[in-house]
Amino acid sequence: MSTEPEDRGLRLNAALDGELEPMSALKFERDVAADPALAAEFQRLRSLRDAVRRHAPREAAPKGLADRIAGLAPAASPPVAAVVPFRRPAWSATRALALAASFAVLGLAVGAGVTSLRMQSPSHGVARSLVSDFARAEIAGQPYDVASSDRHTVKPWLAGRTTVSASIVDLAAQGFPLAGGRVAIVDRIPAPTLVYRHNEHMVAVTELPLDARGAHEGGGIETIDGYHVARWFDADLAYVAVSDMDEKTLADFVAAFRQARQLPAVEKR
Amino acid sequence: MRDGASLAQRRFRDIVPPLIDDAYTLAKWLCRNCADAEDIVQEAAIRALKALETTAVDRPKPWFLAIVRNAAMTWIGRNRPQGLAYVGDMADLDAIDPRLDEAAPDPEAALIALEDGERLRQAIAALPGSQREALIMRDLNGLSYRDIAEATGAPIGTVMSRLARARAALAKTLKAEP
Repeated sequence: MSTEPEDRGLRLNAALDGELEPMSALKFERDVAADPALAAEFQRLRSLRDAVRRHAPREAAPKGLADRIAGLAPAASPPVAAVVPFRRPAWSATRALALAASFAVLGLAVGAGVTSLRMQSPSHGVARSLVSDFARAEIAGQPYDVASSDRHTVKPWLAGRTTVSASIVDLAAQGFPLAGGRVAIVDRIPAPTLVYRHNEHMVAVTELPLDARGAHEGGGIETIDGYHVARWFDADLAYVAVSDMDEKTLADFVAAFRQARQLPAVEKR
Repeated sequence: MRDGASLAQRRFRDIVPPLIDDAYTLAKWLCRNCADAEDIVQEAAIRALKALETTAVDRPKPWFLAIVRNAAMTWIGRNRPQGLAYVGDMADLDAIDPRLDEAAPDPEAALIALEDGERLRQAIAALPGSQREALIMRDLNGLSYRDIAEATGAPIGTVMSRLARARAALAKTLKAEP
């Protein structure tokens, strides 16, 4: 090893990055202890590295990107599903629940632009995508982008971000206080999603224009990967509600929501 | 063929989703914060899925980040600034980069305590491509020297000197504009 300035720099950097072999690291420590100039240089290098990490932090990928990439290799509908339709894995309920969340995060999302690659009905794709959203939000501990129990706060927030005007109803009296709102991407269109709470459970209602893909599908409650999904539509909009509540409670919620929507006194537009 | 595809999907689910944040960070810095970082990562993911039909991957992180890097280079090649001759590697960018002079090896301590993050980010963005990629892979993606060498296809000694020069250049730039 020469002791030219360049090697000196390489050695400092390697020491900083923990890339020295044990014996070299030992020698470096001794040199630093014996040479204040070297020690000062090392300290400056460390400060610079820390400053880089602080000011240019690793960034989280946008959710839409993560969804599109998960959609490239969907876990729930491998190609064999096309050959053996509706074959579901014979999991125990517990195991299915345990796996549901991870599967949802990994691959259930139907990313915009890859929908055409999927061999399944569009409505099923929409429901799956929303289940994936729900699971992801739940795991991330961030079920909504705007947190408020006040619909006059949530409504304008959503209005600025979506094309459908959210119909926000107050269901606190029925045991479902509003928790907040977020935007779901369905078929590349931002769709308002309202999150209501019920004890420690959540329900997320996504509103879709009636001409959205699969808007008229469904009816009743189905189970996707451990989550219950209810779908219905009225004169103006189609709705998809995803929840970790039990089926009965979700049905109650839907009934309350639909009834509140029909009351003329409720906020319109 | 079908089997290959479903095997690839299974491998993909294990490997790629946990690396998306790293991939996105790298892509953003390689193309200097461009709005196309998402497209670059998505393109890389598609390439990865294809490659996984025939490849089993030992060490996913350097493997996938290498694909992201190559996708970013394709992007840079397509969107290069006018008047910049581009041949196909980050090192070629260095060759025509006037900032490549040897940097002072002795940064002042004072400037490093700087609170001006924006200036530091600009200094990183101004680094020559090969130095910037080594710095990001090391300090943000947390790759080892060996991993960086693998991901960039450069000898480990080259990686070491790029990294040292990147850090020295940052220190110098920051010192020069107090």
